[in-house]
Amino acid sequence: MVKKRILVFLFLFINFIGNCYSETEPYSKLENNIAKNLRCLICQGQSIYDSNSEFALSMRVYIKDQINSGYSESQIYNMLVKKYGQWIVYDPGYSKKTFLLWFIPILFFLLGGAIIYLRIYKSKKYE
Amino acid sequence: MILSNIGFLSLLFGLISSFIVFLCTVLNIKKNSLNLEKKIYKFLTLQFFFVIIGFFILLYSFLISDFSNETVYNNSHSTKPVFYKVTGLWGNHEGSLLLWLLVLTSFMLFFFLSSKNEPKNFRLYTVIFHQIIVIGFFIFVLKTSNPFDILFPIPSEGLGLNPILQDPALAIHPPILYVGYVGTSIIFASALAAMVTGYVNNIWAKNLKKWVLISWTFLTGGILLGSIWAYYELGWGGFWFWDPVENISLMPWLSLTALLHCISTLEKRDLLKNWSIILSIVTFMLSVTGTFLVRSGILNSVHTFANDPSRGIYILIFLFVIIFVSFIIFLIFESKNLENKKEIFFLSKETSVLINNWFMIYFLSVVLIGTVYPIFLDVITSEKISVGPPFYHKLLIPFLVPFFLFMSVGPSMSWIKTNLKFKISYVYYFLFTLILTIITIYFLSQKDILIKILIFSLVFLTIKTIVNFLKKNTNHAQNLSHLGFAMLMLSILFNAVTSTETIKNIKVGESFISKNDKITFEEIKTNEKKNYSSIIGTFEIKNVNDKIIKLYPEIRIYNQPVIATSEAAIKTTLFKDRFITINLIKDEQLFNVRYQNKPFMIWIWISTLIIIFGGAFAIFNKKKNYS
Repeated sequence: MVKKRILVFLFLFINFIGNCYSETEPYSKLENNIAKNLRCLICQGQSIYDSNSEFALSMRVYIKDQINSGYSESQIYNMLVKKYGQWIVYDPGYSKKTFLLWFIPILFFLLGGAIIYLRIYKSKKYE
Repeated sequence: MILSNIGFLSLLFGLISSFIVFLCTVLNIKKNSLNLEKKIYKFLTLQFFFVIIGFFILLYSFLISDFSNETVYNNSHSTKPVFYKVTGLWGNHEGSLLLWLLVLTSFMLFFFLSSKNEPKNFRLYTVIFHQIIVIGFFIFVLKTSNPFDILFPIPSEGLGLNPILQDPALAIHPPILYVGYVGTSIIFASALAAMVTGYVNNIWAKNLKKWVLISWTFLTGGILLGSIWAYYELGWGGFWFWDPVENISLMPWLSLTALLHCISTLEKRDLLKNWSIILSIVTFMLSVTGTFLVRSGILNSVHTFANDPSRGIYILIFLFVIIFVSFIIFLIFESKNLENKKEIFFLSKETSVLINNWFMIYFLSVVLIGTVYPIFLDVITSEKISVGPPFYHKLLIPFLVPFFLFMSVGPSMSWIKTNLKFKISYVYYFLFTLILTIITIYFLSQKDILIKILIFSLVFLTIKTIVNFLKKNTNHAQNLSHLGFAMLMLSILFNAVTSTETIKNIKVGESFISKNDKITFEEIKTNEKKNYSSIIGTFEIKNVNDKIIKLYPEIRIYNQPVIATSEAAIKTTLFKDRFITINLIKDEQLFNVRYQNKPFMIWIWISTLIIIFGGAFAIFNKKKNYS
């Protein structure tokens, strides 16, 4: 009786989260690396690699297909960005949009260094 | 239902007490009467008492599963184990704010009792600034997040607690983290009060350090618990994802760490007054900003459980008021606390502290910009970008090398001026580090030049820190925390470069090889518990020496609410963790099995614990006069 109930539960869930993808050796190292750098669009802050959602699993099939057709890692990212937007890749990359993103922290670092240098250099005059 | 009404009224009375405390304090600053001080003390106690009543009423409602209370209805279920009924209290927005309020009011009372030797006006102003925060939070709780909303008709069953929150580490994570967060409110109020009363000096620094240490220690502990939880509960073997919510807990930690170093300089040398004040204010801002970002639902995070935009706006307004007030106070009273224009020598502890702060602020800016930039870009250009691990790694890792090197020599510097003479021991340190580095690199078979340099600087840091333990007149609290930090970085690095993983889809009875281990999928069982049913796999792991380990990963299907989670099975040893998870695949007898070999995993937790011990040691250590 108990077993039956669990089986019903299971069946519901397999249909819900499962996927038709089932080779014994699912993913190569390159595929995993790509999957780690892609966001699962229907999840809350998970990568394709970390997710078991329908979307993540179909993305994995897509990645595999693209690699098999001879596309490189960056080509695959580009294709996905074109289709889904920059949101899907975790690496913001260097572009006009992300210039400030990279520049502001570096500016903080330079400014901080300058302030400390000036404080030490200037303080010599006080004595 | 009556209970909830009492709870609400009790919070209302708490708010009224806060107003009375506020008024009493303002009046007392003008007068000079001891009588009023007693009154303040009475009403602070009363305020705390009312919050406690509210807290226990909510707790009781959770325990007896009183579903006429909306918070209980939304987050509990009668079949839930008692432990999670208790922790369910702060596993949601309303309850967690009540907990926040409880810590906030108890800290104020504690501050008032423990600061009797400090100037009267400084204490009163601290109470005033702190009451502004307390009143803000009271109104926030009562207006937007009342934990005592009543449901009618009374539902017969609750909706249950999100199963991934039903976990011992996560159950105690919020209280610990909140003590850290809320401790910064005392630092903030105290900093503003010291500004106003012209009390920013070494005595103030000495007293404030205690609060900085308490916040810092608890915040570290809270972050540790969160990471441990993410490691075994989220089910894919990572412990830090540069997820926005994680970043938000890291930001106040970074500025607190900077403040902890800076405040020592103020204590010992009466230097860096303005900078200490700014850091105190910034730390509290980051804590409130954190609450705002988490609660508003702006962030796309794996940790987002409950949010509501209207609450976000309230916190945003609150945040702006606080920023505005502190900015004005800073401008008006800056002249009251003139900076000492003493000379800072290049080779001195003062410089080391400045360099520490320089890097801390840089790290903070990377995390802050990385977290909020996508939000602003989205608002301004409505373009969505993701800022993930690659960004943080590129901007943080190269800067770690100089940071580690500075950290190695910093603690050896003396205050004012260090007379550096060439010693033959420097050559020994260098050679010893070099040899150890080469051995390590050989064993890890690393080719990446950056990792080689990182290992070198870390080994150097570790050696120098260990040597510091042997010196006379040394600060053991600092040594402990620094050693813990060096070990943490080493463990993370080794773990990152040596972890291996194999993912296979296999049937029951089949087996596969991962590096040196043979993994056999022996059987599958089902199991039914009170609040979930599960499928448990039995795996046998045989290593090269024919040693056998059995692991039992699970897939759990919780009944309230219906959610499937994958429970990792982990075998922890001193040298490595073996980590296995299973997942279901549609229409097949196959299971998706993910097997990971994660060396040095436990050392990440142990070294963080050492960091925490260092903090605790500093709090309880009475003898504080180090060279």
